[in-house]
Amino acid sequence: MEHKKVKTPIISGKNIVKTFGETKVLNEINIEIYDGDFTVIMGTSGSGKSTLLYCLSGMEQATEGTILYGDRNITGASEKELTKLRADEFGFVFQKTHLVSNLTLYENIVMAGLIGSRLGEKEVKERAKELALQMNLQDAVDRLPSQTSGGEAQRAAVARAVMGSPAVLFADEPTGALNKANTKEVLNMFTDLHEKGQTILLVTHDKEAALRGNRILYIEDGRVISELMLSEYGKLPSGTSSCGNDLHERSDDTKNLYTNDDREKKLAAWLEGLGW
Amino acid sequence: MGKYKILLKAAWKRQKFTVLAIFVMVVIAALCLFSAITLYTSGATAVESEMDRLGFGDFTVWVSGQPEKLLAEIGQMADVESVVQQEIIYAGYEVNGNYSDNEGQLISYDGTIPYHFIDRNGENVDLSEIPVGSIYISPAMESMFDVHIGDTIQFNLSRTNGRKAFTVAGYFEDAFMGSSMIDMKSFLVNSADYEEVLQIMADAAAIDVLGRSGAMLHISKDPSSTLSDTEFYEELQEHTELARYMDFTYRKDSILSYMLLLQNIVSGFMIIFSVVLFVICLIMMKHSLMLVIEQEKSDMAILRTMGLTGSILRSIYVTLYGGSGFVGVVLGAVFCKTLAKNIARGMVTSTGMLVEVRTPLGLLTGVFVICMLVLAAAVFTQTGKILRIAPMQILRETKSAAKVQSPFSRRYLLIHIAVREVLANWSKYISLCLVAMILTVFLSVIGHMGVWLGPNGEGLMNSFSVAEHDLGVQPFNQTVPMDEIERVINWYSPVVEQYELAMQSVTVNGQEYTANVLDDTKWFHMLSGNVCDDNSILITDTVAREMNLQIGDAVRVSASGKTGEYEVSGIYQCANGMGTNIGMSIGGYAKIDDITGYIWCRHYILEDGSARDYVYDYLEEHYRGIDVHTNSWSGLSGIVFVMHMLIVLLYVVTAVIILITVALVAGKLLQSEKSNMAIYKSLGLHTGKLRISFALRFLIVVFGGAVLGFVAAGILADPLIGAVFKSFGIGEFAAGFSMLGNVVPLVVIPVLFALSAWIYSARLSRVSIVELIAEDDE
Repeated sequence: MEHKKVKTPIISGKNIVKTFGETKVLNEINIEIYDGDFTVIMGTSGSGKSTLLYCLSGMEQATEGTILYGDRNITGASEKELTKLRADEFGFVFQKTHLVSNLTLYENIVMAGLIGSRLGEKEVKERAKELALQMNLQDAVDRLPSQTSGGEAQRAAVARAVMGSPAVLFADEPTGALNKANTKEVLNMFTDLHEKGQTILLVTHDKEAALRGNRILYIEDGRVISELMLSEYGKLPSGTSSCGNDLHERSDDTKNLYTNDDREKKLAAWLEGLGW
Repeated sequence: MGKYKILLKAAWKRQKFTVLAIFVMVVIAALCLFSAITLYTSGATAVESEMDRLGFGDFTVWVSGQPEKLLAEIGQMADVESVVQQEIIYAGYEVNGNYSDNEGQLISYDGTIPYHFIDRNGENVDLSEIPVGSIYISPAMESMFDVHIGDTIQFNLSRTNGRKAFTVAGYFEDAFMGSSMIDMKSFLVNSADYEEVLQIMADAAAIDVLGRSGAMLHISKDPSSTLSDTEFYEELQEHTELARYMDFTYRKDSILSYMLLLQNIVSGFMIIFSVVLFVICLIMMKHSLMLVIEQEKSDMAILRTMGLTGSILRSIYVTLYGGSGFVGVVLGAVFCKTLAKNIARGMVTSTGMLVEVRTPLGLLTGVFVICMLVLAAAVFTQTGKILRIAPMQILRETKSAAKVQSPFSRRYLLIHIAVREVLANWSKYISLCLVAMILTVFLSVIGHMGVWLGPNGEGLMNSFSVAEHDLGVQPFNQTVPMDEIERVINWYSPVVEQYELAMQSVTVNGQEYTANVLDDTKWFHMLSGNVCDDNSILITDTVAREMNLQIGDAVRVSASGKTGEYEVSGIYQCANGMGTNIGMSIGGYAKIDDITGYIWCRHYILEDGSARDYVYDYLEEHYRGIDVHTNSWSGLSGIVFVMHMLIVLLYVVTAVIILITVALVAGKLLQSEKSNMAIYKSLGLHTGKLRISFALRFLIVVFGGAVLGFVAAGILADPLIGAVFKSFGIGEFAAGFSMLGNVVPLVVIPVLFALSAWIYSARLSRVSIVELIAEDDE
C-alpha cells in the first residue's frame, strides 16, 4: 500500500479584501500556500499580485478577511508580532535588491541573521559565509551594493532572505530588474532552494521565472481565476483547476508531470487561455 | 515664467516645512538682534535726553543746605556754562516695614521741571500737580521694596515723632537715580507737603533732627571749554568751596552707566544669543540645501534633459531659501520695535524708566544689509552646486555610500547600525555636530553666568563689594556694645574671618572717587599687580581708563584738605560706583585723614552664610546706633530676578532651537534613508528599535559636538562673559568649572537632541514598509 503524507497549508487566506481608497485591489480571495511548494503568482500589471504577496506576508494589512500562518492569525497581529515573523519566519526578496546601502554584501547577509533570533552570533557569521559561497559571492562580499553588479546584489539579497532559514520565502518580481544572465542565475538559486525544501511564494509576470514553480496561480482584477500544476502531488490530476479551495489535502510525493518542453508548452497554452 | 511658477510651486510643496523652519529661526534671530540693538540705543538716548530735559548737567553735586555763595562761585567760572540749584530734603524712610539703607530725597513738584509720570498700567500720563498727601516714586521701588500704588511711605524727620507719611499715587521717571542699581531714591511731593516737612524739621530740636535740607547742583560745562571732565572737575575743586559743601558728586556718564547697566546686560546677551542663532540658521540653511540638492539632483538632471538651464533651477532654491531668509529678516526688523517696547516695559521696575523706543534706522539698515549679504552668500555658495549638475551624468549615477569598517554584534546592534550610518554619511551630520557645539558653548556661557550670579545674586554683589563678606556692622557712637554684638553673631554662626572697611570720599589727581580703606588689604579682589601698602593705592579698570593710569604711576590723593603722594601698585575689582573707586590701606589713608572716627564698618564672614539674614533681623531689632547690612542691596533682588528670567528664557529658546534643528535634520535624514529604514523593517527590526537607533545617531554626533563645545566653553566662556561685563565696570568674571556651567550642557544637549530625534522619528511607525519600498522603486 502506498504511503501518503498529507500536506497542510502553511499560509491560508480567506476572503481577503484589500482596498486603497475607493479601489478594491483584492476581491475576496481564498488561497492556500503549502509547505515545500514553489508557488508562483502571475497576472497583469495592476492585477493585485504584489498586494496579495504583501498581505499574505503581513507586510500589508488586509482590509477584510483572515490570513493564517500555520494556525496563527496574522490579520490584525500587532506590529511587534509581525516584526518577529519577519525576523524569524519569513524572508523577502524584492524587485530592486533593497540592500542597505552602507553595508557590504556580507554585512547585509549577516544583518538579517543578527536581527533574527534563531541562530547564535557565531552561527550567523558562519552561515553568512556559507551562503556567500553558495551564492557565488566570494569575490563581492566586501563590496558595497553600489559597487556590485545587479546579479551579485540580487544573489546577496536572496542569501540575506534565507539567512535565518525562513519557513516561507516571499519574492516580488526578483528578476524584474535583471538581465538575462543574471535572471538565470537568480532563478537557479530559487530552484536550488526549492529542491532543498524551501517554501517559496513568488510573484512574477516572467514566464521563465514562472516555469521554476510547481504551482502557478493566475490573478486578475483582485481574484485568483486559475491554477496550473506543473508538478504532481500524489495521484491528483494535473492541469488547470479553479481556485485552490479544493486542494486542501495533498500528498507531498511530487514528481514532474511534464518534460521541460512540455512544461513550457503547457504554461504557454494556459496563459493563452487566460488571454495573456 | 510659467515653468518657473510650476517648479517653484512643486519645490515649495516638497520643502515647505524646511523653508518654514528656517524662516522661523531667521525671524527669531533677526527679531532678537534688531530688538536688542533698538533697546540698547534707545535706552542710551532716552536716559541722556531725559537728563538734559530735566536740567541735569555734566556733573551733579549733592550738597548740604543751599550754599548761595558756592552757586555764585561756580557760575562765575569761565568753563561753566550754567549751574542750576534744585532744592531737596534728605531723609530716611520706611516702606512696607523696611527701613531704607540710604536717605531718600524729597523734591517739591510744581510743574516747573517736566517729569514724566507713569500710571499703574505703565502708560505715561500728564500731571500738573501732585495731590496733597500723595507721593510719586520711581517704578524701581516696586522691585526694591515691593511698593505699589496705595502703599504708605513714611519719612523719619526727627527723633521726637517727627514723621510724615505719604500715599503712593503713581510713578515718575527719574533719569538720574531711578534705576534699582542706585539705592538713593528721589520722591516727588506737593509743594505744600514739602513746606510741611521743612516745618517739622525746623520745629524739632537741632539734636533730634534726622532730615536735612540740601540741594542738587546741576553743573554744565561750557561747550567751548577745552578742559577734559577730569580737568574741569579739578578746576571746580580748586576755584570754589565745593569740597566744603559737597556730599557726593556724579558725572553724567557714570550715572548713564548705572542707569543702563541692567538694560545693557540684557541687550548684550540678546545680541550674543541672536548672533549664535543666526550662525545656526546659516548652518542649517546650508545643510538643508546640501541634502535637498543631493536628494533632488536626479529630478534636476531630468529637468535639465528637458532643456531647463542650471540657472533657472538654482533660482528656484535661491527664491525659496533666500526668500525665506529675506522675509524673516524683514519681519524681524519690522517687529523689533514692538518687542523692544515690551522688554523696556517689562524692565521698568528695574531700570526705573519707561524707555521711549526709537528705531535707529541707520544702524538697523547697516545690520540688515550685513544679514542679507551673509544669507545671500550662504544660499549662493550652496546652490552653486546645481549649476554643476550635468544631465546624463546624474541619471547614470548610482547612489553610493562610503565604505566604512565597523563591527557588528547582536548585543550592540542598534549602536553599530547608528555608528555605521554616521560614519558612512558623515557629511550629513557635520552641521548637526557644529550646531551642537555652538549650543553647548552658548548653554555653558549661560550656565557660567548663572553660577557666577548665584541663587541670590552673590556674584553680582561680590563684584560690587569691595571685599567678600556676609554681614557688616558699623557703629556710630561709643555706646554700641560691639563685643555683645559679636557674641550674638557668633551664636548664630561662628565668624570665620573679619576685617574693617571704611568708604571715604577722596580726590585722585583732583577727580573725586570713593576710597575703600581696609585694615587688611588681602581682602581686595586683585586683578593684577600687587596689593597696596601705606605708600601705594589700588585702582579699578575704570579708574585706570578714566585717568589713563597704569601700575607704577604716581598719583596725588586728597581728603580733608591733606594730600599724599602714592604709587599705583595694582588693579583691583570693585564695580561699586561703576568702578569709580580706589583701594587704600589703613596706614595709607591715615596719612591724609583722621581714622579714629566712626567710619569703620566691621565685615564678618560667617561659617554658615545663610544665617546672615537672621542675624541682620536680630541686630536691627535689638540695637540702635549701628548700621547693619548684608552683602546685598535693596535693588539686587529685582536685578537678580531679571537676570534669572533671562537665563531661563535663553534655556527655553535653546530647547526650541534644538527642536527646530532636529526637525530640519531628522526630516531630511529620514527622507534620504527611508529605503534603508524600510529594509531594516522588512528584515524584522522593530520600528521601536529603529527609532532608538535613529536617536542614537543624534546622540553620537551631538555628543561629539558637545564635547568640542565643552572644551571650547572651558576656554572661552569666562573670557567671553568677562569681556561683556568689563564694559559694565565688572573687571573680573570667573565662574570656573561647575556642574551647571560645564557638565550640564555636555549632558543636556545630547540628551535633548536624542530625545527630540526619537520623538520626531515616530513618523517611521506610521509608514508601511511596502509604501517606503514602493517609493524607492519609483
